[in-house]
Amino acid sequence: MFKKSNFLMYLFLFLTLIILLTPIHGQRKTVIKYWLWLDDPTDPMFPDLVKQFNSLNPDIQVEYELIPLSQYYDKLVTAIGAGTAPDAARFKDWWIGAFVDAGALEPLDNYLKNWKGYSDVISNLWNTGKISAKSPIYMMPHQFITFYLYYRKDWFKEKNLPPPTDLNKFLDAAKKLTDPTKNRYGFGLRGGSGGQDQWLAFMVAQGARLVDRNGKVIADSPEAILANQWYIDLYRVHKVAPPSAPTDAYAQVLGAFQSGITAMMAHHVGSSVLVTQKLGEENVGVVPMPPADPKKPATMITMSGNVIFSSSKNKEAAFKFISWLTEKEQMDKWSRSRQGQLPVLKSVANLPYYKNNIFFKVSLDQAKYAIAWPPLPGVGYISAQLWQNLMQRALLGEITSKEMMEEIANALRKK
Amino acid sequence: MLLERNKKEFINKWEKRVLPFLLLLPAFILILSVVAYPIGRAIWLSFHDFNPLKPFESKYVGFENFFKILKDKVFFIALKNSLIWIIGVVSFQFIGGLIGALILRQKFKGRSLIRGISLIPWVTPGILISIMWMWMLDGNYGIINDILLRLGLISRYIPWLAQKNTSLFSVMIADIWRGIPFFAIMLLAAMEAIPEQLYEAARIDGANSFRIFIHITWPLILPTVIITTMLRIIWTANHMDLILIMTDGGPGYSSLIIPLMAYHTAYKQLNFGYASALALLQGVFLIIIVSLYLRLLRKKGGMY
Amino acid sequence: MKNFIFKYFLIFIWLAFILIPYIWMFITSIKSPNELYVFPIKYLPSKPTFEGYILLLKSTPFLAYMKNSIIVALSTVIIALFVAILASYSFSRFDYKGKTPLSFIFLITQMFPAILLAIPLFLLMKSLKILNTPYSLILAHSTFAVPFSTWMITGFLNSIPKELDEAAQIDGCTKIGALRHVILPIASPGIVAAAIYIFIYSWNEFLYALTFTSDIKARTIPVGLHTFMGEYIIRWDLLTAGGIITGLPVIIFFMFIQKYLVKGLTEGAVTG
Repeated sequence: MFKKSNFLMYLFLFLTLIILLTPIHGQRKTVIKYWLWLDDPTDPMFPDLVKQFNSLNPDIQVEYELIPLSQYYDKLVTAIGAGTAPDAARFKDWWIGAFVDAGALEPLDNYLKNWKGYSDVISNLWNTGKISAKSPIYMMPHQFITFYLYYRKDWFKEKNLPPPTDLNKFLDAAKKLTDPTKNRYGFGLRGGSGGQDQWLAFMVAQGARLVDRNGKVIADSPEAILANQWYIDLYRVHKVAPPSAPTDAYAQVLGAFQSGITAMMAHHVGSSVLVTQKLGEENVGVVPMPPADPKKPATMITMSGNVIFSSSKNKEAAFKFISWLTEKEQMDKWSRSRQGQLPVLKSVANLPYYKNNIFFKVSLDQAKYAIAWPPLPGVGYISAQLWQNLMQRALLGEITSKEMMEEIANALRKK
Repeated sequence: MLLERNKKEFINKWEKRVLPFLLLLPAFILILSVVAYPIGRAIWLSFHDFNPLKPFESKYVGFENFFKILKDKVFFIALKNSLIWIIGVVSFQFIGGLIGALILRQKFKGRSLIRGISLIPWVTPGILISIMWMWMLDGNYGIINDILLRLGLISRYIPWLAQKNTSLFSVMIADIWRGIPFFAIMLLAAMEAIPEQLYEAARIDGANSFRIFIHITWPLILPTVIITTMLRIIWTANHMDLILIMTDGGPGYSSLIIPLMAYHTAYKQLNFGYASALALLQGVFLIIIVSLYLRLLRKKGGMY
Repeated sequence: MKNFIFKYFLIFIWLAFILIPYIWMFITSIKSPNELYVFPIKYLPSKPTFEGYILLLKSTPFLAYMKNSIIVALSTVIIALFVAILASYSFSRFDYKGKTPLSFIFLITQMFPAILLAIPLFLLMKSLKILNTPYSLILAHSTFAVPFSTWMITGFLNSIPKELDEAAQIDGCTKIGALRHVILPIASPGIVAAAIYIFIYSWNEFLYALTFTSDIKARTIPVGLHTFMGEYIIRWDLLTAGGIITGLPVIIFFMFIQKYLVKGLTEGAVTG
């Protein structure tokens, strides 16, 4: 079996492979390494944008790396610790607190001073990239979402229910539309991964806050505990959510709404196409996040933006790229693509395409009163793991609402 | 003549004393350079408080991380789950693999194709196995629920991965399915190495299949069984890829095992010191268990 | 006759057990996306589509991922097998002080979860300047595959009677010669099994692949598949198509190799 000639042949093949693998070096351009995640990896939108930028800027070469979202945070943490961070990257507001605390992000104010597009950005969205009212801006906003509520117009009509424009109407409709014998439930509660955003939307809609105006943590206040209890009760007391709710993630909640298992789903513009495609536009209604008090509307906003790392050696060139991505034409392309969410530019938001689409319109109208996760270091941990663990245990009755909110408050207070 | 004899003696001595170590050299070069450093660093980390985003602020904390483990309720939940996980998965993988090996060594048409197909679960990347089984176990669209319902074994769909008491068990099924081919192939190879004469002799003596298995097959494959099982125990203890994707330890802590707990602690809580202490502790447990295992079976296996 | 039916029945059950999840995955991969989340469950697609496969091969770097996976896995097999065979021979055919502790050290490398070692290894690969190249994976995979393979092959070697070595040496072979010409051919079932194990380990390895490579040009299949799970979209079509395609080379490889598991080779040595 081990003939000498065979062995030599394999050795030769092996060495050839090695030679073929050795990359060829030699570049005179400034190379920018950029990381991002994409929802749809078959979408040529981003590779095309990169090609376009590279040809418009012959002295810069952008090399991008596509990383699965579920490992994105871990990889960044590893890279920062090892000193192999990219120059710039797509980033979520959940992580700002932790990374600024570590000094990993470059403040962008100096670059923004000379950027023409500054005033085109919806003004209060700059806050999503700061850690306090007076802090520098660490993240350039790019695409965001605000949470609203889908509901089955046809089911509501059948039972003569008014659209769920406040939480009382919401709960009432949820109860009336729940029928376990037909495998129908009122609301797709999301206890699994990523469900913290929807949860926060319901919390703020009831007037609860995680931090007050001065940045003090009030997540364990009586209001917050009560608001959380209301949410838990949807599952445990009123039973308007499917039994799988504690571990349902996006795919399950979307699937349930699409296949006629749930009557209402809290989500955002990212799913509007999927939802209407499946159920038909006439059957899907959308309302702004129902508040407890109609005079005090609130919803949750989360921003995906671009950051430059303080370890980068090519910050100017990196800023050129991320600001180019934030210009009108590119922004419009991005928002219309399969990865698309809400554009942060006023000029784009005012285009007929967005104004005439009810999902975009409702979302954008909420931008002025939407609240984001506080930019504290603990939010990284909460969004990556803690919230899910606490929510599941609370939904299963292992811990009380008070215990859950106290743990969240502790994580937020941690330095 | 004398020169010839000296040369022979020299070669003999060389073969006895030096060759064995020379043969081990490549392996040790790899292991010491690639593994020793990380283990050393991990030990260092376990005695420190280390945030990967702020590596320069690390401080020495002595045995504090280890004491923390002993007071950690979550650790003991993870420990219990780890034991259930390891024992359950390896036992059933072994049983399934043994049955598979016995089937695959029969002679039948298309045997090489079927042997090839048997590899499928082992060859499939963990991510795929996870989503396949998540999809089959789904509480609303899973075919497992549908089939069980039609067979009358359940009255309504069960959200297998969303319930505390079925989450770990459900992931175990997926890992058992994945691991059976491994055992089947290893045991098959061991069985194939048994000389045919032994079987012929036994058949001439009038033994039936069952007795042949007990007296000939089993004792001769036993060394392989022992090694494979032990290696599999170690591997299963440390592998959390399916659990990570299927339940991420949830709901709550019901499917949390120790390596997963270490992963959460390291990357989500940004506490590398505590995570290293957890992982090291499990490593030490395994070392102790495996040493006992080996000592107990030294006579049977006749290995070392 | 009864035996015959029973035998084929068992084979059928075995195949069903192995294949049902795969079949369901295949069916899922040819359904159009809006037939997936349907209640009650639809078993067969009304309009099968192979678009997922086409999209996978044309619009994603999947083939590049596959190339990388093959290169890494094959190289790992060659290196790890070579190292393991030498080490196994040492453990099996020689007696010396320190054999037990040395063999135990092999095992110790497996006792720790990969995540513990991932970060320090990342730093090591960085200083060796092989991050983002297949070499980092080949190095890591070979190192971690050696202990298992050594123990496996040692076990097989141990069941080969030492008389064979002695017979060869009387005929004038050196120890190494005995290894090459007599032992290895007989131990080939075990070696083939080890080769399969190493290949599959490397093929499926995810954590180190994720940690050491971020470049698309160095990426392997498991990491590539993860990119099909985004924040809002799980591309079932791509994932399941990728799953089917991923398994094929290995299964074909195995179908050729598995004839070496036949014990025909053993017979010659014992009697002749």
